[in-house]
Amino acid sequence: MGTVATGPAIVFDDVGLQLGGTPILAGVSFRIEAGALHCIVGPNGGGKTSLIRSLLGQMPHTGTIRREGDGITGYVPQAVDFDRHVPMTVRDVMALISQRRPAFFGTSSKHRRAIESALERMGVAAKSQRPFGGLSGGERQRVLFAQALHPSPQLLILDEPTANIDEPGAQIVEDVVLELNAQGVTVVWINHDWPQVRRLAHRVTGINRRVIFEGAPAEVLTWAEPQVAAP
Amino acid sequence: MNDLYHWLHVTMKALAESGTLPRSLMYEFVVNGLLCALFIGPLLGALGTMVVVKRMAFFSQAIGNAALTGVAIGIMLGESYSSPYVSMFSFCILFGITLKYTQYRTSLPNDTLIGVFLSISLALGASLLLYVSAKINTHVMESVLFGSILTVDSIDMNILIVVTLVCAGIGMPLYNHMLLASLNPSLAHARGVHVRTLEYVFVVLLTFVTVACLKVVGAVLVEALLLIPAAAARNVSRTLGQFVTGSIVIATLSCLLGVLLPMQLELPVPTGGAIIMVAASIFVLTTIIRATFPGFRSAGV
Repeated sequence: MGTVATGPAIVFDDVGLQLGGTPILAGVSFRIEAGALHCIVGPNGGGKTSLIRSLLGQMPHTGTIRREGDGITGYVPQAVDFDRHVPMTVRDVMALISQRRPAFFGTSSKHRRAIESALERMGVAAKSQRPFGGLSGGERQRVLFAQALHPSPQLLILDEPTANIDEPGAQIVEDVVLELNAQGVTVVWINHDWPQVRRLAHRVTGINRRVIFEGAPAEVLTWAEPQVAAP
Repeated sequence: MNDLYHWLHVTMKALAESGTLPRSLMYEFVVNGLLCALFIGPLLGALGTMVVVKRMAFFSQAIGNAALTGVAIGIMLGESYSSPYVSMFSFCILFGITLKYTQYRTSLPNDTLIGVFLSISLALGASLLLYVSAKINTHVMESVLFGSILTVDSIDMNILIVVTLVCAGIGMPLYNHMLLASLNPSLAHARGVHVRTLEYVFVVLLTFVTVACLKVVGAVLVEALLLIPAAAARNVSRTLGQFVTGSIVIATLSCLLGVLLPMQLELPVPTGGAIIMVAASIFVLTTIIRATFPGFRSAGV
């Protein structure tokens, strides 16, 4: 890939998961290389988000998920399920997520510059004093993406971050992801945009309760797309 | 601490006698009440913002009701009638943790489960209190239910000070994590926050505060003082800082006025009731402000 890999590699080994007796994942084994931009694709309800949540340690699972290498994890969730009525500005949200000092005291000087920089990078710096709940879904998603940039992550986990974002916003996300990945950050990206996957990903894994394909996009997507897209 | 309280009582009395301060401050119990108000206000105001965000209003009410059972158990076990703190703290913490534990292990909606526990705590408390009521003065019950500064003594104040310090010492460093865990558990987890542990920590803090405030505000009304100042502040806040500061100021003001006004105006109103009525008046005022001024209408969204 021509870059110095600083992000961790991740190994999924025979990962299984059940929810209320219903199997969600079974025998999932694949490897995400250090510094790779690895996309995960598959039909809705196929277990992609559950796999990511298992990686984040949020869901009990069988098998092992091993990180080879340390580093900060940045995570952008799929849904913006913040309570929109809590009186918090965008800056409050960033401070809440990024710093230890209680956010109601304001942004600490130690984090202020980095927070502003992350918001600028995502094109929402002008909204920093606006109520977070008053932003559009796309703007809130950009703020959530900005929080994943501070502190600088070595592993970036994205769960459909562009699902609610307009085209210019999606382009910003793409640019930032590529920039981080070029610096060696490992990127795990759940993505339904197959042309984008084909264009950007180093590797792609198809998940539908199990691994249905795995490889370089050019090798696997051509034949896999019609199968996965089928109802 | 007793020396400090004594010095304060003597100083306040001297100032009241000289006409510098209101005459009601001549009485020790009024000074005690004001001291408690200065601790309870910031404590409940700050914690209330979290209760509102976490939508745990009925949870704290269930804890308040559980305190009734705690009082009855304490009396049955031979604790002091006026301050059965060991039983109250023990039972309420057990009750709160059991409720939280059950929440994680059932698919019932939160409000349904809390409703069930609230009913159980009320029924148990009422039954046991009826059983022990023959042994004690009914004013003890009244003070637990509705609060009474007449019964506040140095032990109550010491407990309140310790609880305030413990809550500030634990709650302040964990505030961001607790709030994030309630706003978006998934994101909190990814940030290394132990979401469940913090939920339990919050329940224990809430229980400490509820029990420590019982003598002043009362079991029935302590939940209202957690909610109303935070709700009033939320009406007119745009930022988290305004929300928390506003809630603390409103709660403290309500406590101070709730203690002083009945004394100054010679009204036969229990402290708890007076405090809540002041807080409710401020809530109505902020609601009118929010409805009247467009700038505030967009506050909070």
